[in-house]
This record gives sequence, C-alpha cells and structure tokens, in this order.
Amino acid sequence: MNETVDAIGVCIEKGKVNKSSSYPIDLQGQDGADELTLQALTQNIAPDEILKTCNDAMQRIGDKFGRNEVFVPELLMAAKAMNTVMVHLKPFFQAGSIKTKGKFIIGTVSGDLHDIGKNLVSMVVEGNGWEVIDLGVDVKTAKFLKAISDNPNSFVGLSALLTTTMANMASTVKEIKMEYPKTTVIVGGAPLSEESAKIMGADGYAADPQSAVLFLNRKIA
Amino acid sequence: MHIELSQFEIDENTFEVTINYSDIKFDKNDIGNTIGYSDGKLPPHFEEMIDQIITRFPKKCNINAGYRLLNLQHSTDRKDGLLIGNKFFQMDKIVTSQLKKANKAALFLCTIGNEMELWAKDLSQKGDSVLAYLVDIVASSAVESIADILHNRINQAASKLGLNVTNRYSPGYCNWSVAEQQKLFSLLPNNFCNISLSDSSLMKPIKSISGIIGIGTKVKFSQYICDRCGVNDCTHRVYLLSKANKANNIVL
Repeated sequence: MNETVDAIGVCIEKGKVNKSSSYPIDLQGQDGADELTLQALTQNIAPDEILKTCNDAMQRIGDKFGRNEVFVPELLMAAKAMNTVMVHLKPFFQAGSIKTKGKFIIGTVSGDLHDIGKNLVSMVVEGNGWEVIDLGVDVKTAKFLKAISDNPNSFVGLSALLTTTMANMASTVKEIKMEYPKTTVIVGGAPLSEESAKIMGADGYAADPQSAVLFLNRKIA
Repeated sequence: MHIELSQFEIDENTFEVTINYSDIKFDKNDIGNTIGYSDGKLPPHFEEMIDQIITRFPKKCNINAGYRLLNLQHSTDRKDGLLIGNKFFQMDKIVTSQLKKANKAALFLCTIGNEMELWAKDLSQKGDSVLAYLVDIVASSAVESIADILHNRINQAASKLGLNVTNRYSPGYCNWSVAEQQKLFSLLPNNFCNISLSDSSLMKPIKSISGIIGIGTKVKFSQYICDRCGVNDCTHRVYLLSKANKANNIVL
C-alpha cells in the first residue's frame, strides 16, 4: 500500500488531526490526517482506498477501546482526525464515486439527556462509512418514527444511560417494530445487556461503538 | 476537613446553603478514574486540557444548593417504598434498606448552573469534541463535589442534634425510577436552587443533582454501597469506588 495512505491510517488511529496539532506527542511537527489526505488525493490515490484505510484505522482504535486499552478522549481524537479526512472526501461522496454503506438513525431515548455514548457511536459509525442521522437526546418515539419514514431502509440505534429509562427504550423499540417491522433496531448503553435487548425486541445489542459497527456491517454483508 | 459554610432558613425547615467554587477540590486522579485511566495514567495532553478547564471553572459556575427536612415514615399498607412528607416514594430495596431506620429525610438539590453545559455544547458544535467531553467530565466532577459538600453540611447539622445521616440517593439510580423526581420536586419550593424539572423528569440545568438523605439515630453512612446493585457500568459507581478507595487508603 502507498506510504501516504499508510500514514493517514496511523494519524487516524493516533488522533493526529493536522500538522499544528500538538497531539499525540510522538507525532508533533509531522503532517496530520488533513495534510496527508490532500497529498494522497494529489497523488491520484483512489478516494475509496483512503476511506478503506480510515475504516480499518477506526476499527483498530475501536477494538482498543473495547479492550479498555484506550478511553473516550483517544477515541474522540481519532474520530476528529477521521472527520478531517471526511471533509476532503465529501465531494467524492457527493459525486457518487464513493458510496456510504447506508443510513443510521441514532438518538438517546426519551427521559435521558446523556449523549457521550451516543456521540461516540455516532462518530465511529460515521467513520466507518455510514451516513449518520443524529436525533439528539431525550428523543420521543414519534421523532424516531418520523426519521424512519423520511429515510426508508435506514438502521436505527437507541441509546440510554439511566436504568430507569430502559422502559422508555423498550416502548420505543416496540412502537418502531409495530410500524416498521423490517427496520433493524440496535440498542446500547450502560444498563443494557444482550438479554435485555432481546427482551425488549431489539435486533441487536452493542456494548461499545465498535460492536455497533460490526453489527451494522454484518447486516449489509 | 472542616468546611465553613453558611446556611439560611428560607422557609420552615427549608435551607439554602452557600457554597463557593473555592470549596471544590478538584482531584485529577478522580477525574482520570472517571474517564477510565488508573491513577497517574492520565495522558499529559488531556491533563493540560483539564487544567485549563479547571482554571476557567470559577467564571463558568453559578452554584446553588439547599435542602428541606421532612418526616420519613413507613406506609401501613405498602412495603415497596417510604412516606416522605405527604408523598409515597416507590423505591427499590437498595434504597429503602438504607433509609428505613431514618425518621427524617433531607430532600436536597444542588447545581453548578448552566454555563459549563453551554460551553461544552458550543465546543461540540465547533468540532472540538475532546475538549467538550472533558468540560462535561469536569462539570460532573464539580457538581458531585458540591453534592459531597452539601451532604457534609447536612451531616454537620444532624450531628449537632446527635443524629446520623445515610448515603444520598437520587431518582434514576439504584433502580429508583427517574419519574419519582416529580414527587421530590413537588415537596420543594418552586424553582428551588434555580433548578426546574421537565415533564420527562430531567433537571435544568443538566449539571444538577437531586436526592434524599435519611437522618436519624439508628442510621449510618456506608463507604461503598454499589455492590448491592447490578449496574456495573454506572458512572456513579466509578465515582463512589474512587472515593471509597481513597478513604480506605487514608484509613490504612
């Protein structure tokens, strides 16, 4: 693989946004994801090759997060570097030369204002080539239903942190499944488990952002 | 540690407690623990960012705290909760087992205001998700610290009367439904501590804590209670475990 593309992957995994970014210490003064992506495009490297490298890098950092080898700040830095690359790749998405994997609607359920987990999933899923529609926090079921109606064939992710908002989540899953039985719903958040996800009728449970990506990618494989 | 605080009785058995930002002792190891890093493992880059946030905190906080003392009784016909004031609170055993020997309850509220959440939101919108996240973490640490100080103040007031206090419990945690916030707020003056409650039982400002502390001669404070609950990923568990470990180290 091309050296520049490899370096982009390293920048994503380590969260090196651009040359002026002081993070991480071991890459200080070097080109970051921003400069390297521009260089790669100037070298006529295919945008989808750059995207594939970024997806792999996001998967590596996501795996490390799942193993508690890195934490939220490192994951956010990686996502920030990834977003920088995506700014340069956006015209190619719009032109149709690279395609998103699908649409993923995400929100924190009604009664819950916690957004960190939801944002992380959102960024990692987007970094893996999905178009993310983020509905925010304290999202009522009707808003999820409207978003599904506006975006046919989309996948849905529900997030919750409070044990006590699991009932709201269960009711949202139930209503989505009643109205759109073919829509895939994945749930995640501290109080949940595989078992509770199954009981509430969700199609999947994601313990961390990378699990959400793996689940979604399996669904379109 | 003795903290001098002033308290004003604004209504019968209802007190506003003055807490200054300088009363808050930020512990970067605790903040690191909350994120996931073990003691001393917080990367220097993020530690510097946290230092900057703490430096700006005094201009970004509007602290309010207070509590109301009410009678706590057992219901004659229901075992799944307790009567506080004129309201029956439905609670899990995790909570009732700690409060059942109390005969008074302090219903408390505290907040650091909304400046930190607005700052985090602004940073997030500008794409600085890391700093936004750390602002949120520091804000959470600050409001927990305010709750600790208020808890301590209530303990001091109770001690003068020969009474003890329990741990504090909040709707939304320990299997206690967040919807019970409505009852808790109904027992407090309107807009007490400048905190309001939404229909879905969420507080504004977000960085606020509400809850109940039991008071009586036969109650006690337990250093760590999370082993009674099955929610292993609870953010509050991380905070309490970090505090309990510190307390154990001091004792040893």
